[in-house]
Amino acid sequence: MQPHPAYLLHRRPYRETSALVDVITLEHGRLRAVARGIMRPGSRSRGRLQPFTPLHLTWSGEGELKTLKVMESHGPGAMLAGEGLLCGFYANELMIRCLPVELPVKEVFAVYSSLLEALPLPAMRAPALRRFEVTLLEALDAEPVFVTENDTPLEMHTQYVYRGDMRRFRPALAQEQGIDGRTLKLLARGDWESPGLARVAKQLTRIALQPLLGNQTLRSRELMHELAVRRQKAPS
Amino acid sequence: MTFSPLVDRLLDALRVLPGVGPKTAQRMAMHLLERDREGGQHLARVLEEALAHVGYCQQCRNLTEHPLCAICESSRRDDSQLCVVESPADLLAIEEAGGFRGRYFVLHGHLSPLDGIGPGDLGLEQLEQQVNAGMVEEIVLATNPTVEGEATAHYVAEQLRGYGVRLSRLAYGVPMGGELEYVDGGTLSRAFVGRQPFSE
Ligand SMILES: [Zn+2]
Repeated sequence: MQPHPAYLLHRRPYRETSALVDVITLEHGRLRAVARGIMRPGSRSRGRLQPFTPLHLTWSGEGELKTLKVMESHGPGAMLAGEGLLCGFYANELMIRCLPVELPVKEVFAVYSSLLEALPLPAMRAPALRRFEVTLLEALDAEPVFVTENDTPLEMHTQYVYRGDMRRFRPALAQEQGIDGRTLKLLARGDWESPGLARVAKQLTRIALQPLLGNQTLRSRELMHELAVRRQKAPS
Repeated sequence: MTFSPLVDRLLDALRVLPGVGPKTAQRMAMHLLERDREGGQHLARVLEEALAHVGYCQQCRNLTEHPLCAICESSRRDDSQLCVVESPADLLAIEEAGGFRGRYFVLHGHLSPLDGIGPGDLGLEQLEQQVNAGMVEEIVLATNPTVEGEATAHYVAEQLRGYGVRLSRLAYGVPMGGELEYVDGGTLSRAFVGRQPFSE
């Protein structure tokens, strides 16, 4: 087996000296695997097997749980710290929660690696995250379809509300906060990263992801939210 | 082969210890039963007592059977410095290295959203109360240089921003006596970013 480009999404201790890992690979999507012996003192693979670092992996096993064979780092990892690091956790948590194992998602992999390059730069974070979320939604056939519930085109001056269950839009009720058709048409053209649409794009991807996540909240999003609340309350 | 149900239970029980597989468990059991029953009884008594009475220090969450641990009790430590560590083992390592004369706060873990471990699990409210009490001037964030340790340091820093305390983080470095050639890339690039002015 040729080494495959991959990223570690999460690692937890398993048995005495091993770890149970979630990885995203270029060709084979998300995989679950056992990394044997990496928790042994002095294991060189433990240092390499870090999140946000490009890896080359090989594995064996036919079942759902693979065994990692070769673990090599392939270039320096993104130096994530602070808020950028939390965003990285968020992307990893999204993939673990949403992607079924062994569903090939080449585009998601590519966009994830450009996300990691963008995360250290505060101004790039939000657009890169939106692009990542939308790519993930598309890979899972869950992205919003920009038409009404009856598959008719959206009107420029009508306010709409997204229905996650139908992946379509319905007109907003009188008291309801909606998104106007003009904005939605811009998003439909793929303008997810434009600064003027940042707030709406964030709202919409969040609602669109909800059906994939079920009732459990995303812990990394909660953490970022807690920090944001703290920052607003901070004395200075 | 098996000896008896009770011996088997002992073998199983010994395997809760890290690094103890079936072979080692057997060796330990044979040693206690065959050669050192008195030592075994002492072990059993102390183990039971420790498990019943050792808890967390009320001040720093270090392990102790007293309300306060020896470091918090000591009047010779510097109240103005507080070192935040992930585990009692980390505290011990820093104490053994020597040089730090301040006090500690033990988190007993790190933030790990993907494992469902949040700020509430790490006693961070208690830490904030102590900083709020006003004695602390510098917080040394000595969490591990892992992504989770880094996230924890970030959270604590954000939490304590606004209290006017100085925050510092342990430097990443190349191990003493190590050769650059054998240092992994991640450590080396971090060490590069954190390089210090050179003065003689
Ligand atoms: Zn104490």
